Amino acid sequence: MADIVNLFEVEPGQKVGLYSGATAEVVSNPRDGVWLFVRYLTSPDDPDQVGEEDMVFAQDVLELMTD
Amino acid sequence: MAITFQPSSYSGLVDRDNGMVSREIFVNSDIYAEEQERIFTRAWLFVGHESQVSKPGDFFVSSMGEESVILCRDRQGEIHVFLNSCMHRGMKVCRYDEGNTPIFTCPYHGWSFATDGALVGVPFYKDAYHEELDKSQWGLIRVPRMVNYKGGIWATWDANAPDFLEYIGGFRTYLDILFDGWDGSEGGTEIIGGIEKWMVPSNWKFPAENFIGDRYHNISHRSVDLVGIGPSGQGRRDNSEREGAKSLDVSFPERGHGTVMFLRPEDAQPVPSYQNDPIVSEYFYQCEIARKERQGQLWRILAGPGTIFPNMSYLPRQPRSIAVWHPRGPDQTEVWRWFLVDASAPPEVKEFLRQYYIRYSGPAGLTEQDDMENWNYAHAASRGAMARRYDYNYQMGMGYAVTDFEDGGLKLDGTVLDTTKARAGEQNQRGFYSRWREFMAARDWDGLATWRNNGSAC
Repeated sequence: MADIVNLFEVEPGQKVGLYSGATAEVVSNPRDGVWLFVRYLTSPDDPDQVGEEDMVFAQDVLELMTD
Repeated sequence: MAITFQPSSYSGLVDRDNGMVSREIFVNSDIYAEEQERIFTRAWLFVGHESQVSKPGDFFVSSMGEESVILCRDRQGEIHVFLNSCMHRGMKVCRYDEGNTPIFTCPYHGWSFATDGALVGVPFYKDAYHEELDKSQWGLIRVPRMVNYKGGIWATWDANAPDFLEYIGGFRTYLDILFDGWDGSEGGTEIIGGIEKWMVPSNWKFPAENFIGDRYHNISHRSVDLVGIGPSGQGRRDNSEREGAKSLDVSFPERGHGTVMFLRPEDAQPVPSYQNDPIVSEYFYQCEIARKERQGQLWRILAGPGTIFPNMSYLPRQPRSIAVWHPRGPDQTEVWRWFLVDASAPPEVKEFLRQYYIRYSGPAGLTEQDDMENWNYAHAASRGAMARRYDYNYQMGMGYAVTDFEDGGLKLDGTVLDTTKARAGEQNQRGFYSRWREFMAARDWDGLATWRNNGSAC
């Protein structure tokens, strides 16, 4: 299991993997430790989400991804 | 001792005809609880200044009565005032004094709100709420009425309250002196420095009535006058402009507002002030000349401290500041003090004023300490079972005020008590408590807007 991601340290431009199986790029970080603003890169369960911006809840974030 | 009061009881607690006020209204917890409902949910209250939220995302956490509110500017630049309470379980969504943010996130379960108050983030929205929660119905509670008057942000929880300018009435003349540039130009003030905040173990009405026009307590400040903290090195403020002026107490009892002021003679001219610094002195001298030219007769008004009912007080000049007396229980008041300067003033002037404001006001300032001693001990000595049986006396100057004051062609609105010879009076306090009684007894604004029917204060 991946380590818990500390949202305070996530920077815009980084990529995150979500428990849903989707991946997303961080657009901005309100630095509240709870939410990230992201843009979906992939979304196997809901392909229409790709390219959309959304707010992602901390407990939905599985891991920080490396290029 | 717990005494329960009905609305009809309040006329007995504030005896306007005889100038007496029961100590119960200061110390009784039932009355205090009623005040929160009858006064602080219905009156217009001062929340903050637009210069505190100058950029999109800026916020300032303030209070309306006991309740925490957020003053913020959204991404489109619009200013809002919200109840600082999550719509899910009530947690404060903002626990900072001020700052800049894209969203307000509740730390309890994570609901988050945009700076326009809209609910934008709900954890597990898809899985737990099945996307059936109507987010549009669960945004932050916003005040139904808000106004930006010359930079001052005011709000009321009562959608049926009169417009702010109707609420202020003839007191607008004095409010303008506070918020206009010192040269008389429209608006143009800004907040300087942080907000001083401190607790006073006293009922909120003690400082409110002090600022509305208590010239009588001048003796309390004798020590600071001896020290000479004023901007010209004498007294606690400049008094040279008062030469030959009349001392007037102005009350608007049908609204509860009041102020003390000095009316300069018709042939008065600007005189030097702020003489500890030549740049500052010249700045204000030129402002006075410009203001005299702009305002004509109104320039003769040298405004003093005042209170806008219920809990916003101010000093228009030295130190130019706003005080709000936030109720925190019958025996506790949280004092907030804002300081104003002309936005266009040179940096030397702003810094000079900042230093003067610090040594005058607040818990570390030399003048405010005098007042706090009085309010603290007066309150404590009024709480006892015996002490609260005896009314306070507000009879000074009763029967000597006029409603048609005129001097050299300048007519003043309101009820005016000339205290030039008497040196003190208590009509402003009587007006304040008369209005307090109305707020506590009236069912709604139909009963409170007495001036619409040419009614008297009560």
